[in-house]
Amino acid sequence: MKLEAAQAVIDGLKRSGINFISLMPDSDFAQVQHLVARDPEFTYFPVSNEAIGVGVCSGAWLGGKWPALVIPTSGLLVATWPLTCLCMAWGFPLLLLIPYRGDIGEGLWFMGPYKDTTEPILSDLHIPYRNVSRIDEISPAISEAQVSTQSWLRPVAILLSGETIQ
Amino acid sequence: MKRYDCLRLLAGDIPEDALAVMGVGLVSREWHSLRPHEANLYQLNLGCCTPVAAGLAVALPQRRVIALDGDGNLLLNLASLADVANSNPSNLVIFVFDNENYESGGGLPTVTVSGRVDLALAARGLGFKNSVLVRTVEEFAAEARAALKRGELSLVVAKVELGTVASLPALHQDGKETKYRFARYIERTEGKRILIPQDRPRASKPWLKEG
Repeated sequence: MKLEAAQAVIDGLKRSGINFISLMPDSDFAQVQHLVARDPEFTYFPVSNEAIGVGVCSGAWLGGKWPALVIPTSGLLVATWPLTCLCMAWGFPLLLLIPYRGDIGEGLWFMGPYKDTTEPILSDLHIPYRNVSRIDEISPAISEAQVSTQSWLRPVAILLSGETIQ
Repeated sequence: MKRYDCLRLLAGDIPEDALAVMGVGLVSREWHSLRPHEANLYQLNLGCCTPVAAGLAVALPQRRVIALDGDGNLLLNLASLADVANSNPSNLVIFVFDNENYESGGGLPTVTVSGRVDLALAARGLGFKNSVLVRTVEEFAAEARAALKRGELSLVVAKVELGTVASLPALHQDGKETKYRFARYIERTEGKRILIPQDRPRASKPWLKEG
């Protein structure tokens, strides 16, 4: 991810009022992770797997924070259990930021399966999502997703692809 | 040692406004019968109790938060202890009631039944400075009070018997109702807006004039 795209993510998070970020380290989001970790405007809670992050964000929301979970494409698979037993069953909001590895144009063979899993899983979990492939679309998409997740009390995801993760 | 006796002690020791997060199963019904309160989050499913309690504790550092977890529930996501220790919220005490069994999930044993798996020791290895194992009600009372008074992240593993008390009331409340009650309680006691926070749900409606 270019620094310009990472900064667009940070800009979108701040404009949306996000003040709590849980994050699983990932090469596609390394720039974002470094920016978040040293920014005092965010309460930063790194996690060892994405399922923990869903729980931590749910607790933080109940405590009055506006959380976002920033996870790798594969991490959506790990997070499906608490996305179901917490977010679906309880009706918790959550802004999910996910790089869409495995979208058309992907060159790594082992990313291929995520084309088969990512969007169907989001649909199965009743998580509305938007594909964002241009850097100038990142910040407004995050703001709109945040408005919706808070109002609908269910997760909303942004899938970043194209130039946003190059 | 019975879990119910530990919970009864705990219910009398925590501050009135303490926030309690607990796992799915009998522990939620027992706690509800002892300390019914809007500040309770009941029936967190496997692997979720401690992470939710940790997020809550970090979001509200001035409030006492307790997690009432179980061996099977915690083991599903044991790595959460490392993440909580790394975050180190000083207002969080985690109680793990280890009955060595998936009691509410069919009665099969957990790995702690072997005696080789020590959750308190595991917690120390995962970064908890304060982590103890207790086997009697007297030990539980002393360690729980010490943990609540300490003002540091702490974990107490209590080895408890299977079973519960006779005539335990049912919990007629689902997660959504618990969420709304809890969120409104936090709004009232913390002066925060949690549910539907936007005054204007869209960022801009240029056709609407101000004033």
